[in-house]
Amino acid sequence: MKHIPLLQISHLEKRFSVKEKWMSQWSLNRGRSYKKQDTVYALNKVTLTLNKGETLCVVGETGCGKSTLARAVMGLTKPDSGEIYYGDQRIDNLNDRQRLIFRRRMQMVFQNPYASLNPRMTVYQTLSEPIAFHNPQLSRIEVDQKITTLMESVGISPNWVDRYPHEFSGGQRQRISIARALSVEPDLIIADEPLAALDVSVQAQVLNLMMDKQEEYNLTYLFITHDLAVVEHFSNRVAVMYLGTVCELSDTKTLFNNPKHPYTQALLSAIPRLDNNSQKPIKLIGEVPTPYEAIIGCPFQARCPFAQEKCFIEAPKMIQQPDGSSVSCHAVEEQRL
Amino acid sequence: MELLNVHNLNVNFQLKQGDLAALIDISFSLKKGERIAFVGESGAGKSILGFSIVNLISKPGYIKSGSIKLHDNELSHLSNRQMRHIRGKRIAMIFQDPMMTLNPVLTIGEQMVEAILSHTDLRKKEAKNLAIEKLVQVHIASPENRFDQYPHELSGGMRQRVIIAIALLLTPDIIIADEPTTALDVTIQAEILELLKQICDDNNVALILISHDLGVVSRVAERTIVMYAGRIVEQGPTLEIINDPQHPYTQGLLNALPQMSLPGQRLNQISGSMPSLLDRPSGCAFHERCPYAMDKCKQGLPEFLFNGVSHVACFMVEDMLEDLNNDADSTYFDNELDEDLDTSLEIQPQTRGSK
Repeated sequence: MKHIPLLQISHLEKRFSVKEKWMSQWSLNRGRSYKKQDTVYALNKVTLTLNKGETLCVVGETGCGKSTLARAVMGLTKPDSGEIYYGDQRIDNLNDRQRLIFRRRMQMVFQNPYASLNPRMTVYQTLSEPIAFHNPQLSRIEVDQKITTLMESVGISPNWVDRYPHEFSGGQRQRISIARALSVEPDLIIADEPLAALDVSVQAQVLNLMMDKQEEYNLTYLFITHDLAVVEHFSNRVAVMYLGTVCELSDTKTLFNNPKHPYTQALLSAIPRLDNNSQKPIKLIGEVPTPYEAIIGCPFQARCPFAQEKCFIEAPKMIQQPDGSSVSCHAVEEQRL
Repeated sequence: MELLNVHNLNVNFQLKQGDLAALIDISFSLKKGERIAFVGESGAGKSILGFSIVNLISKPGYIKSGSIKLHDNELSHLSNRQMRHIRGKRIAMIFQDPMMTLNPVLTIGEQMVEAILSHTDLRKKEAKNLAIEKLVQVHIASPENRFDQYPHELSGGMRQRVIIAIALLLTPDIIIADEPTTALDVTIQAEILELLKQICDDNNVALILISHDLGVVSRVAERTIVMYAGRIVEQGPTLEIINDPQHPYTQGLLNALPQMSLPGQRLNQISGSMPSLLDRPSGCAFHERCPYAMDKCKQGLPEFLFNGVSHVACFMVEDMLEDLNNDADSTYFDNELDEDLDTSLEIQPQTRGSK
């Protein structure tokens, strides 16, 4: 397969200001007052390329910035610096009107199907709105036909078009969300933890549906998840994120057979597997901190068992390895691991 | 001797639509220090089971019949006041969401001391020492400082540790953990599971783990009970259930896991979804989704059968065992039968194992 880049993200940065009212910026601790930090560094120089027709999974723990990345690509939050290119056009600095054509090309499926469907709109309304909006030339009957085929294609009976979301189960709702995303015939679907709220057997159904649709329409997926078992099964390439930076990017097979970054190794060892005799999980010190300050050096320094002086001073660069993966780690670079 | 014995437990919900059965004929027992797990999808009734053991079923739910015996004392008829002596002291419970479980307006210490004082005659100072000792046991760094902090100052993993410490305070016989790691990250989940396992071993506490994740279950539990639509469908040693599931539902559940199919291939899904309590199918509740469903599955209920390792309620397995027995009558050698049992009970030969 030839690699044609569809989406290019370069040096993307996003900081969130958590500034509150002046009074509530101060907090008390043991009789002393101090001012709260007011910026969270959510994304730090994220660079990724997404090729046409592939599935790129972004994995990481809570707070590593994976959802922020998805929202920045969709234009739901404005990045502070960096560039996002769709094809050869820059899209991160567009206003809403200019963005319209790109909205049609990329769609998002959200985590919680209970919250992402409007409870006051029937399935028909939910699906017809984007179709009619992006295809104003279609007649009412054509829209109806489109909805019928769409619902059949995601495995929901077209007789149910007049039902409301609460009448469906979680898996069915997620199917409707996928149908809504597919309704405008996009090239790229960004899925932010689409399986997290579903049961195992329903997860399999939704994942199968997503794979079928990918084959049918040659879709590209940016799939955000914390479930590594799904990643192993589903993706072509994986980006592992930690505290707003990508720390390892490689082919799925290479990543699972030969993880290089210490964080990836710990993450992989923590997957609950079915065979009981697997190795003990690598224990990391502490938990993911909230990045209130710009990190000097490697973001993983505080929890890394291999951290040395250099890791606290200099940020590691993404360096391509012989097997095609890219890792940002001083220890890997110096072959200490 | 058995620590906890649940026999033919039926829990119903009295709703406008009628009297709905949430749990039907649940029977199991738990030995001292044993770790068992309940697995099933949402709606299977696993949480309701956890709640009914400690009598926390709130209206409109009620225990219709059956018995729950702890050390031969019947629990299901106890009044709320009597039950209070058991909850926390003999049976402790850990819930899914650590933020909801802790009281946000009380410090960790206040919550711990309160639990100790209400069950024992210790003085406040002794209670504090005990609480700090338990915090050390769950590997919380600088427990003296944490003691005075509020729940919102702790991270999710730390909160769940505190909750485990609270559950341990009065050295209960049983800990019921209802999806204890669902709200946590993978690395933290691994740590908490390790901790739970180690603590149960050290203190000889029995654990009832309620989970939907078979991977989690295989890491912790010795015995696994699979539930479907309010009934137990299969129970047996965890390793047996994972390596050689007998009931079609257990097979489906395991095969649906992504690691069971080749990368990039379609997953083996179970069609349909769990029936709601309102329209439970007749006969075996799984027959609508079962690939091997026969006519009798729609009418009758399968009995529990013991096949040598696990208990299964399925007509399919029943027929197979019968066939085996008939064959056995015609052969002379009993030991040959044993080998037969091992190999031919596998309904659908599959290659399993890790990649």
